[in-house]
Amino acid sequence: MSSTVSETTQEHAHADDGKFHLFVQIAMILAVITGVEIVLIYLPIVKWLVVSMLVLLSLVKFLLVIFWFMHLKFDKLFCTILFFIGLVLAGGTVAALLAIFSPHDSVPLSAQAIYAERAAAAK
Amino acid sequence: MSAHAGTIDHHHDHTTTTGIPNKKLFMWAFLASDCMFFGALISTHVIYRLHPTPEGADPTKLFSIELTSFSTFILLMSSLLMALAVGASQKGKVEATRKMLLGTIFFGLIFLGCQVYEFTHFVHKGLTLKSDMFGSTFYTLTGTHGVHVAIGVLWLVLMYIRTFKPTDAGKAWVTRAVVQFMAFAVAVVSIMFVMLAVTHAGAEHGYTLSSVVHALQHDAITSGAALAFAVSTVLLFTLGRSTWAVDFGEANAIDVEGMGLYWHFVDIVWIVIFTVVYLLEYL
Repeated sequence: MSSTVSETTQEHAHADDGKFHLFVQIAMILAVITGVEIVLIYLPIVKWLVVSMLVLLSLVKFLLVIFWFMHLKFDKLFCTILFFIGLVLAGGTVAALLAIFSPHDSVPLSAQAIYAERAAAAK
Repeated sequence: MSAHAGTIDHHHDHTTTTGIPNKKLFMWAFLASDCMFFGALISTHVIYRLHPTPEGADPTKLFSIELTSFSTFILLMSSLLMALAVGASQKGKVEATRKMLLGTIFFGLIFLGCQVYEFTHFVHKGLTLKSDMFGSTFYTLTGTHGVHVAIGVLWLVLMYIRTFKPTDAGKAWVTRAVVQFMAFAVAVVSIMFVMLAVTHAGAEHGYTLSSVVHALQHDAITSGAALAFAVSTVLLFTLGRSTWAVDFGEANAIDVEGMGLYWHFVDIVWIVIFTVVYLLEYL
């Protein structure tokens, strides 16, 4: 009986240490990814590739924090669904706004005139 | 994953319909709404950056990527300490919870200090809330995030003070806990002043013991800060020894967890802001 109790206590201690080390490892991974992102912007590679990699790395950091630090992986699925509803709505709004306002037609008229003058002066 | 050393299952509540503790459910719903709030601010900033006004400021000439990288790293480490605080509270370890909460507060204050320093530098260079469109969207977005961090720090402080509530209701514990926290705040601020003075002296005269001593004696503010640091540190360690039984344990872990969810959310919003607002400007 006492050996079973002490074995259970040891298991708990190991599990606690494991969780501590897991959190520290995740924090180190997050720091390394941040360092990679900073180096990435100075590399002489095509812009679309840099943007894609930055988005991907940020997504990895995002998912690591919400699923491990925020315990979403270990909680009930409903919490994940609830949070992702807000996230999807936010993402959809961002995408819609960018689609509406990013074309050239969205440039303010006063700015268009100034850009045209500068382009003419540069020629 | 259930609690290991305790008697409470921190991931299941039998009294609710969903099985999720109400406080946790509320916090996740609030964070989902906050996603939409920050989504609107971030998209506004991005849209106005796609078509910058001709007279607008050039962010790459203002930004210090080193300072922003440092503050990003600080916020990531504060997230780690917060996760450890939640873990400690779920095991009923009050002392460990206090230490991790203090660490999170410390790192949060450093982040806020970096933000204040950065904003002060930008204002000095002429970028204000109404100077141009970039200033408007930048300060609105990062300022809102900064306010979220400040509210988080305040909440952490209140949580820290709460850990000292004694089981004996007659004890005057609030004043002592507040004084202890004030000692911590004075220690943090004063060491920042001292380090700034030592760094300046080192840059001017070289990093030697005599230059450090000279820096500490250079003006009244630095000398006062060094003295304040020494006194507040002694006070902190003296008052931090709570010998009475406290009314804080595993049952309060849900409150620390709710706090943790908020703090981690603030961190992930900064992850997005750092990439979108700062890094993308350099492309």
